[in-house]
Amino acid sequence: MNPIDDQLNRLFRAAGQGRPGPVSAPAYGLETRVMAAWRAAQSVETAAEAGFWDMTLLVRGLILASVIMAVSFWPALTSADSTTNPFAEFLQLTDSTIPSDNAP
Amino acid sequence: MTDAEVAACLARGREGDEKAILELFHYMYPHVAKLVQANLPVRESAEDLVQQVCVKVMAHLDQFSGKVPFLHWVSRIAVNTCLNQIRHEKRRPEVRVADLSEDEATVVERLASSPGELDASDHVASKELVDKLLGALRPADRLLMRLMYLEGRHVDEIVNLTGWNRSLIKVRAFRARAQLRRRYSVLMKESP
Repeated sequence: MNPIDDQLNRLFRAAGQGRPGPVSAPAYGLETRVMAAWRAAQSVETAAEAGFWDMTLLVRGLILASVIMAVSFWPALTSADSTTNPFAEFLQLTDSTIPSDNAP
Repeated sequence: MTDAEVAACLARGREGDEKAILELFHYMYPHVAKLVQANLPVRESAEDLVQQVCVKVMAHLDQFSGKVPFLHWVSRIAVNTCLNQIRHEKRRPEVRVADLSEDEATVVERLASSPGELDASDHVASKELVDKLLGALRPADRLLMRLMYLEGRHVDEIVNLTGWNRSLIKVRAFRARAQLRRRYSVLMKESP
């Protein structure tokens, strides 16, 4: 065997003999800290889940509001008849006033 | 704790049962503490690292598929946590004779001059010397050398502990051993 390998093996054997014995009980306070960290992680998870549902509700609300807006404006935007469309009258009025205002 | 008891505890733990989580903590603690103590990074408290591993295990209980025994899964988390911490230590200094303590230098001299085993009184110095030599290796290589040569673990055991495959372990061990040999030869050349 290579002398270097032999020396390394003996060194490792000597170092390995000084290994710590079996671990018995957790250090004082460790259990409490671990449980506290777990509880904190659980509450963050729950809060994140709640936040997710809040966001979903908000998005749903926004979608619903947009649909209601579109439905209520749809007749006004599509109808070209000035007798039934209040917006058409308003547009005609502004068309007639702008040229008269700008006339010298 | 039997496998069935562990499975029952895991099921309750996933539901958020504190008592089950506590039982799991006491079950895995000796295993985690042993692994962490053997692979403890410099400037890191063993307790903090054990806590970090345990919390990580408990937070990811849902990800445990049951394909491997629970303790093997826990070991892999512990090993990866230790490796990540060791990777933060950017400095991996070369070992020089001038950096060795008097006892460590004596150990090197004894190893070179006598073919026999070292005395019981040399165990502490030899451990410190091994720590210095391993400290110059990459984190994964360091871990592997510890498991193989200090703890005397077989390749199969290392597969279970780390999740690495056999060929990777063998290649890594070969390279790490060659590096150790080279670093130790430098020490031998420098020693009077």
